[in-house]
Amino acid sequence: MLEVFGRRPYLVLLVMALLLAPVPFLQLNDYIVHVLTLFLIFAVFATGWNITLGLLGLKTLGHHAFFAIGAYASALVSHYFGVSPWITMWLGALIAAVAGIIIGFPILRIRSMPHVAIVTLAFAEIVRLVFANLKDITRGELGFWGIPPFNPIGIGDTAIRFGLGNAAGSFALAAVLFVGVHLILLLLLRGRCGLTFLAIRDAEAAAESLGVRLAAWKLFAFGISAAVVGLSGAVYAHYLMILTPTSVAGPEMLISLLAMIIVGGVGRFFGPIYGALLLTATSELLRDFGDYRMLLYGALIIVFVFIAPAGIAGLKPRLGRKPAEATKPVEAV
Amino acid sequence: MSSTQFIELVLNGLITGSIYALVGSGIALVYGTTRVLNFAHGELMMLAGYGVLLFSVTLGWPVLLAALATILLVMLLGAIIQRVTIAPLMKREDWAFNVVAVTIGLSIFLQSAAQLIWGEQFQGVPYFFSGVAVIGDVRMPWQRIAILLVALAVMGLCALVLFRTRLGRIIRATAQDAEAALAVGIPSGLVHTAVFSISAALAGTGAILLSPLVTVSPWMGASYLLKGFAVVILGGLGSFGGAVAAGFLLGLIESFSVSFVSSEWSNVVAFVFLIAVIWVRPEGLFAGRGA
Repeated sequence: MLEVFGRRPYLVLLVMALLLAPVPFLQLNDYIVHVLTLFLIFAVFATGWNITLGLLGLKTLGHHAFFAIGAYASALVSHYFGVSPWITMWLGALIAAVAGIIIGFPILRIRSMPHVAIVTLAFAEIVRLVFANLKDITRGELGFWGIPPFNPIGIGDTAIRFGLGNAAGSFALAAVLFVGVHLILLLLLRGRCGLTFLAIRDAEAAAESLGVRLAAWKLFAFGISAAVVGLSGAVYAHYLMILTPTSVAGPEMLISLLAMIIVGGVGRFFGPIYGALLLTATSELLRDFGDYRMLLYGALIIVFVFIAPAGIAGLKPRLGRKPAEATKPVEAV
Repeated sequence: MSSTQFIELVLNGLITGSIYALVGSGIALVYGTTRVLNFAHGELMMLAGYGVLLFSVTLGWPVLLAALATILLVMLLGAIIQRVTIAPLMKREDWAFNVVAVTIGLSIFLQSAAQLIWGEQFQGVPYFFSGVAVIGDVRMPWQRIAILLVALAVMGLCALVLFRTRLGRIIRATAQDAEAALAVGIPSGLVHTAVFSISAALAGTGAILLSPLVTVSPWMGASYLLKGFAVVILGGLGSFGGAVAAGFLLGLIESFSVSFVSSEWSNVVAFVFLIAVIWVRPEGLFAGRGA
């Protein structure tokens, strides 16, 4: 548990929240706020994926499918039925969770890592193709535009507006999502639930022999993980207000998120956040060299697996900040 | 469905299937022997595509020579990739995911590097074989029929090596138990590298046969990777013969699915079939002979 969450996870989250709180009031350049908003959304996505990948230890490679499902479900319902995005985002998360549980069933039967990786990858490809082929509903690769932004909220005389172009409001929303999701996950995972996941990851047979109902817990983990990822997808959809199947469920999304998790630290609760920050920032700095982005991500994945398999989050104890932990071998997960 | 149509669908299925079989059997060979799932396998195809473009189009070599040079080149590349990026990780306790992550990184790295070096355009390679074969009422370019014949010959050769030669016995012994093989004096590390080379040769053969039909681009291998994985799982993970059979089966399924649904759904049908098979028969459709 210590290895996963660090010493004082709530304090770390509080510090993060305090760092985020003043950003909307700093009169920063809109573009910088936009980049930070994307970082927060992707951090939630990466954290959600890390639940199955890092904590439960099932090497799933298809979570961009849940991002796409959450995004498209919320966008389609709000567009065609005029339902407020404040409601449809939860619907997106719910549908993603159901999809996660459904794809969890075939995975329950298999223990080999390659099977899990390939089944989830094939599932993501199916989802991408379905959204691309249902042109009458989603307009396929032309892009589904005209997604309504979140409805404005009035506080006193000022109305907070959302969506692309309303940088401060969108950032505030993403920040609330970020802190809220991480807080709820901390409350959930610091208890019996997280211990069970780690027990399944570290010794599945032993956990089962101690009465852990593997099937139920794995499906639960899949549902939670997919719901978090789907929720981030819904917020992404109503923020950018346009979606294409390739942009949300294509290979670049898979590589980007995988790079964030590996660079940040697989199986460390806060790892994916650091990875998301580092990679979102560098990829925006390299925006003028668009072609180099995937080259960089590929190289980063290789370098981190070789040099720092526990990611940025795994580096800290080695630097001597926590001497008590330094004696513990830094183990890759 | 008329019999002409039927023959055409079968032929098309077998031709597509032979490429899937080439790609899948290479992945299966590597997985069966080393337990490594190589996500950069598609990029070996892509590099072979650029190899054949270089040798046969730019340098103007005769087709056979260009093909041989290309295959030697990708065999060398396969060996280098195994030695440099995969072998060092195998000692780790959690190497399985490390290797998957590294080969995913390598795959996207090579793809974007190819894009920077050779540009984004799709480059054509002229047909190696001209003319059209006429079988009854069915007309089929020789180039497409050659894919099936050459693929069968290459996979047959590979099976001969695997099951009838000393090298094949060494490979199968390593696949069964790498440590025990080491104990009786088989250099398992070298065997792993050799297997990667053979696998790269199979991928290279597929790419050479395909290049006149699908053009050469940085992404030419990526679309076949997932199909290759599907074939490996359907055939029973790590079974060479199973992968070959599953490759043809998947090709036929896709070919016949086109007569029921529009062609953009054929990949959906193929992947749904894959997931359904895993649900019902996780060990794959065909019992393998190992290696």
